[in-house]
Amino acid sequence: ACDTGEIVVKFAHVTNTDKHPKGIAASLLEQRVNDEMNGTMCLEVYPNSTLYNDNKVLEAMLQGDVQLAAPSLSKFEKFTKQFRLFDLPFMFKNIEAVDAFQGSADGQDMLDSMQRRGLQGLAFWHNGMKQMSANKPLIAPTDANGLKFRVQSSDVLVAQMEAIGGSPQKMAFSEVYGALQQGVVDGQENTWSNIYGKKFFEVQDGVTETNHGIIDYLVVTNVDWLESLDAPVREQFLTILGEVTESRNKEAFAVNEAAKAAIVSAGGTIRQLDATQRQQWVDTMMPVWDTFSGDVGQDKIDAAQAINAGL
Amino acid sequence: MEVVLLFAMVIGMMLIGVPIAISLGLSSTLFLLVYSDSSLASVAGTLFEAFEGHFTLLAIPFFILASTFMSTGGVAQRIIRFSIACVGHFQGGLAIAGVFACMMFAALSGSSPATVVAIGSIVIAAMTQAGYTKEFAAGVICNAGTLGILIPPSIVMVVYAASVDVSVGRMFLAGIIPGLLAGLMLMVTIYVIARFKNMPKGEWAGWREVGSSFREAFWGLFLIVIIMVGIYGYPWYSSELGLYKEKAIFTPTEAAAVASVYAFLVATFVYRDMGPLAANGERPRRNVLQAPLALLSVWVHEDTKRALFDAGKLTVTLMFVIANALILKHVLTDEQIPQSIANAMLSAGFGPVVFLIVVNVILLIGGQFMEPSGLLVIVAPLVFPIAIELGIDPIHLGIIMVVNMEIGMITPPVGLNLFVTSGVAGMPMMAVVRAALPFLAVLFVFLIMVTYIPWLSTMIPNALMGPEVIIK
Amino acid sequence: MSGAGSGPSGIINSIEENVIAGLLGLMTLITFANVIARFAFNSNILWALELTVFLFAWLVLLGASYAVKTHAHLGVDAILNMLPPAPRRMMALASVGCCLAFSLLLLKGAYDYWAVFADLPPTSGRWFPTGFDLKARSQSFYEVQDVPMVAGLRWLEGLINYGDAYEKLPKVVPYLVLPISMLLLLLRFVQAARQIWRGELDRMVASHEVEDELEAMRAQHNEERD
Ligand code: NA
Ligand code: NA
Repeated sequence: ACDTGEIVVKFAHVTNTDKHPKGIAASLLEQRVNDEMNGTMCLEVYPNSTLYNDNKVLEAMLQGDVQLAAPSLSKFEKFTKQFRLFDLPFMFKNIEAVDAFQGSADGQDMLDSMQRRGLQGLAFWHNGMKQMSANKPLIAPTDANGLKFRVQSSDVLVAQMEAIGGSPQKMAFSEVYGALQQGVVDGQENTWSNIYGKKFFEVQDGVTETNHGIIDYLVVTNVDWLESLDAPVREQFLTILGEVTESRNKEAFAVNEAAKAAIVSAGGTIRQLDATQRQQWVDTMMPVWDTFSGDVGQDKIDAAQAINAGL
Repeated sequence: MEVVLLFAMVIGMMLIGVPIAISLGLSSTLFLLVYSDSSLASVAGTLFEAFEGHFTLLAIPFFILASTFMSTGGVAQRIIRFSIACVGHFQGGLAIAGVFACMMFAALSGSSPATVVAIGSIVIAAMTQAGYTKEFAAGVICNAGTLGILIPPSIVMVVYAASVDVSVGRMFLAGIIPGLLAGLMLMVTIYVIARFKNMPKGEWAGWREVGSSFREAFWGLFLIVIIMVGIYGYPWYSSELGLYKEKAIFTPTEAAAVASVYAFLVATFVYRDMGPLAANGERPRRNVLQAPLALLSVWVHEDTKRALFDAGKLTVTLMFVIANALILKHVLTDEQIPQSIANAMLSAGFGPVVFLIVVNVILLIGGQFMEPSGLLVIVAPLVFPIAIELGIDPIHLGIIMVVNMEIGMITPPVGLNLFVTSGVAGMPMMAVVRAALPFLAVLFVFLIMVTYIPWLSTMIPNALMGPEVIIK
Repeated sequence: MSGAGSGPSGIINSIEENVIAGLLGLMTLITFANVIARFAFNSNILWALELTVFLFAWLVLLGASYAVKTHAHLGVDAILNMLPPAPRRMMALASVGCCLAFSLLLLKGAYDYWAVFADLPPTSGRWFPTGFDLKARSQSFYEVQDVPMVAGLRWLEGLINYGDAYEKLPKVVPYLVLPISMLLLLLRFVQAARQIWRGELDRMVASHEVEDELEAMRAQHNEERD
């Protein structure tokens, strides 16, 4: 519990505290803030959606009921459509490209892009690249034809599934495991750590390593709350957050690789694509870019592609 | 300390006659305004979040609606006839048939009081005519009716699943063995009592009656198949694939909506006990060919509207309690109460056995005052994190809670089944309480069994869906 | 339905009952249609789930005031039943006081919550409105997840969204139920308070509700037998 006189910072997120990349990072932040800023600031983590889920947490933040959150990037398209960039398929070659873009001037601009709506982006946290799984082998994009894929609420992801001939399905997250297992839906897309953590691999024929998209998070706060902090306190807090971000983002890749290995050792099937097969997926999904380039801005797309080319 | 004050406020308001929903909502609101930074706006937001953030709760109105169509559609009568044809010839046969009928209706309906009303309003009268005492009849039905929430589908299981975020499909599977076992225990108890007291036995009406009563009840009972096959798929054989499992069609929430549409179609077009084709005054029951316009008029028919309205009203009273209980849950989370209780219990060295006793006692006491769903919304998030720490299976914990709720329904002062039975049987409530007592003892034994034999609950779900994923 | 009575109160009754029946019917049909879409057409109505949840919230929040009017809210009346009329009246007054307090607080909260989405100023003050908080940030841009914007509501864009187009329904629409329902709840509690004061009502909670329903059921059964 916090001492009197300390600035209480509530951090609500939706994962566990010790296995998910976001949960681990949040726990580390909590530990460091409470150690190093003892007496000034007190950070309380509310994991597992116990306080708010990702859809509600930004509303609560604007109300001033919670100070920190780290929803996935697609949740921010309600604030500015630029964030649709991160949902576009095959926009980034790998997690290094994502990292480089987020650290570039274009990426850092996006942190400030929601100030007039009351949100201040503080840091990007990685989860990893998305893979695709279904109840049959997915090698060519045509294999996805007619399959029902569970997707998150996002117009981009819906368009992406339609591009490969799949039928996008919306359902409550708590129903997904059962729905995959009983065959109500056929497939889904997620990062290795999520596929392992939610045991989706158990109820799928296999996972295909497509690396077709990313799931990352944005640590955000309320603009007015951040401004209300004394400058030294704010500086110290942001420094700790920066250090946690850097150290955990380096580990995110390893966390996902470990999850991938764990899936294999638990008896899950992982399928690789060769260069030609992968190019088929790229070609099939690419038209989605045209639909949303206006929302995202061609300059941002070009910047991301320049980074891909340089790696 | 402040938390004690909070609960004292809730209970105090309830006792002076403030509606349960308002007691929960007002106490939590006052607590938040005094002890936290939360604004009134965020309290109001929580009220909406109750729906927006808990998609699984959607199953509740649909199961209530299905149950309403089934109750008004004469399905109960047909089930009872089938049930008497099967087991009526034993000593105490009508009572045993009453339990059997409750079990079948429980598999169609998600609620206990609905089961008591549907079966009890017919069986209690029939039993008294056949020479049973009214007390015995009321006691049997009052208890057997509680199976409504243990045998899937179950509204209480939906509430549990929503408040601790486990799979509804898994909870439903977990209720099958305990539900059958509890029904069997009640039937055996009745048979033993009947032999001792030499209670009446019916005539064996022959297999022909079993067959014809089954054909009559078939359309109602087929709903069980629709729900189970719809949620879990079915085994099938083909020459290419051999024996394989055919895919499921819908989620548990959707199953409930399909069940209501099916129940509506059966009640209005097959049994024709309600709607435009039903007998009306001089006019006999018609079929669709005689009155094709019914296909249009049924949607706005008074009976359809009546059923929708009745189910809607029940949904409102139940869900308004749950929405306000979620404000209280928000307070508890915000103050990190579950964590501090968990830490206290763990540092005191409590093991799973002691913990489960404590849970049972809390729920049994709480169940004396509160309606099950509201109680569950408050207690489940409190005990769930501790249970996970102690390595108790979340599904097992859920079934323990459901059985506790069953007992709460037949113990005074607040027991929905007691109210309903006293209405159905036309008996004072205290008389029903006394009548229910011997069978309550059976449920207590059953509670102990369910608490300490986890596989009763976990065997079927683990076999069909694999072990529960536990995310701390 | 009981709404068959004539006069303004009969009309209001019938509106309330039709709204309750209609919302539930609509929820069922949308969900059923979604199952058919997936099973028969391998498709999905992506906004079906979210719209159903909104209708659910509207059903329960609007229905709550109807339940006050028909004394249908669940509660404990074991103690009330043991008391003689005079103290019972005192307790009924105390409990209706609690209900009024709840609905007044929640009405302020509900308006404040909704106002920012409507580009209106929320009220200031922690317990009671003390004025308007003109510095609060408007959130009229905020859209729901899936339900698309409908043409009939485009006028909202000019009115509250500074001319920007909505792709999805703005949150101001579903959340509108909050202030409306809390206002209705307050009105119904005021009526109940008046009835208790005059001695026409002795409790706020359902006590005979179950019996009433059974009464209705018996009546129905008798009709069938006749
Ligand atoms: Na049931
Ligand atoms: Na009780």
